[in-house]
Amino acid sequence: MPAMPAGRARGRQAGPARVPAPTPRPVLAKAALLVAGTGLGAVIALTITSETGSGLRASGGLATFGGSLTGMIGTYLALLMVLLVSRIPAIERVLGQDGLVRWHRRLAAWPISLLVAHAVLITVGYAQAAQAGLWHEIGTLLSSYPYVLIATVGLGIMCLIGVISLRAIRRRLSREAWWLVHLYMYLALALSFAHVIVLGPAFVGHPLTRLVWSVAWLATAGLVLGYRFGLPLVRSLRHRLVVAEVRPEGPGVVSVICSGRQLDKLPVAGGQFMCWRFLTRGRWWQAHPYSLSALPQPPYLRLTVKAVGDHSASLAHLRPGTPVLVEGPYGAFTRHAQVRPQAVLIAAGIGVTALRSLLEDLPRKSAPVVLLRASRPGDLVLRKEVSELVRHRRGQLHELVGNRDQAGLDERSVRRLVPDLHRRDVYVCGPEGFVTSIVDLAGRLGVPAEAIHHEAYAL
Amino acid sequence: MKRASWYLTAGAVAGFAGVLGLSSRTTPAVPVALKGSRPAQAGQQAPSSGSGGSTAGGNGSGGQPAAAGQAQSATGPVTPYGYGELDVRVTVSGSRITGVTVPMLRTAEPYSQQLAAQVIPMLKSEVLAAGSARINGVSGATYTSQAYATSLQAALDKLHRR
Repeated sequence: MPAMPAGRARGRQAGPARVPAPTPRPVLAKAALLVAGTGLGAVIALTITSETGSGLRASGGLATFGGSLTGMIGTYLALLMVLLVSRIPAIERVLGQDGLVRWHRRLAAWPISLLVAHAVLITVGYAQAAQAGLWHEIGTLLSSYPYVLIATVGLGIMCLIGVISLRAIRRRLSREAWWLVHLYMYLALALSFAHVIVLGPAFVGHPLTRLVWSVAWLATAGLVLGYRFGLPLVRSLRHRLVVAEVRPEGPGVVSVICSGRQLDKLPVAGGQFMCWRFLTRGRWWQAHPYSLSALPQPPYLRLTVKAVGDHSASLAHLRPGTPVLVEGPYGAFTRHAQVRPQAVLIAAGIGVTALRSLLEDLPRKSAPVVLLRASRPGDLVLRKEVSELVRHRRGQLHELVGNRDQAGLDERSVRRLVPDLHRRDVYVCGPEGFVTSIVDLAGRLGVPAEAIHHEAYAL
Repeated sequence: MKRASWYLTAGAVAGFAGVLGLSSRTTPAVPVALKGSRPAQAGQQAPSSGSGGSTAGGNGSGGQPAAAGQAQSATGPVTPYGYGELDVRVTVSGSRITGVTVPMLRTAEPYSQQLAAQVIPMLKSEVLAAGSARINGVSGATYTSQAYATSLQAALDKLHRR
């Protein structure tokens, strides 16, 4: 075991105990939304003011103007998409990594569609103005306008990524393949940047607008580099995690216990997850999100994983001493999200891992009600730890084992087990279908949306 | 998050209004000049310069005061636009614009030169068809068109003053 260094590297007022995870500040997310909206309004206004009445009336003027507008809005939305997944900690803490990714997924079709519309409209508008055929105009645009060719390559990459992200196709691809192709989006955006600045009517002759636009993109690139790559690297180097032990917990479930330095300075809240990259020959190139199944106990950090895919199954064969790189912790599924004095925690299957560390973070005498669901008794992993934590907090634990008909969670059984559910916060963690059904159920039983917190496992 | 769209919309309205407010104060010179010169009615003024027999003798063209049917030329000021600068020389014969040329064209980049070379003939035919500086311009070359029209209008004004 590496020795814990004496003395703290940074002299903040943290006591001998762990550094707590910073409190989320929802006002920052609201401010971010305001700023994002301001940018959108400004972009639309810039495009409109750079157009003139005579330009609109000229032949092809309407199509060209439509092309400018869709191009500017599309590019700006693309910038927001990048920011949504840039893991800015202040925002991530409020919305959670999975909340941000959900927004990203929901909105991502917009920038791509708008940019395709931009390409089509500009081509049509210019062809009308030049009284040329469409094919001829495409050739002219690609050959004689600066940076349009590489921007077109960028658009092609974007469309490809859009297509493979369609649900039906996404499901058939491995996580890694999809992720690797997705990274090319950064290349696509970089390729398109120059033609915007050089040709965009809002930028030509407006050096200030050009400067602001460039600074916005550079800042975004900086945030991505800093928070997606820099911070994880710094954390990984600081804590120097290595696999200490792999312990079986149940059928197909293992705990991986890592040891590292200065883990008291890793700001973790119970219920969060990290992305883990185990540096062995077959695994170093892929990082996977797994929940921490306990708060750090320096010098140890534990994750618990169920074998559902190639990667999770292979973790059982990890050798002690394997170096580990980490990203995170991420997630808003923490006690900070709680808006009422008491909570009910519900987990199905391997969802118990996040519940277990969240429970550990709840104060004594918080009297939580915990519902654990599993199909077979053996699948109730970590049950002893959970039951002990519940007992210490004067709570109640209900285990529901069996198939869904015998031991499912429906309105009747939930009412019986947690009569005061409508007065509590509801935390639910498990497979996507389970989480959706419980969220619906809690809503029907009168729990307001801001008191329902969930983290779903995507396989 | 609750009321996310509200915050987004509020921001958008603020950003939109802010940029509109700023740009109305600092509109670039080219469109302003164009708007100022546009209502000057080039088509109607050109004939008056011809038929009125021009008060001051034209210094450049012909040497003789412009009689009807005699060609007169003038060159507009060098007008900058986003991608470069140009001036327009116009020849008026009696009440008709008979020729337009661009004696000076300077651009920031070679492609802009190419583009202008494509656009200028189109603008020329628009002017000859309209008989004035009131042209629609070429879409995709808005700034070039504006600068062209501005310089042309100034050239016509010069002829009128003579």
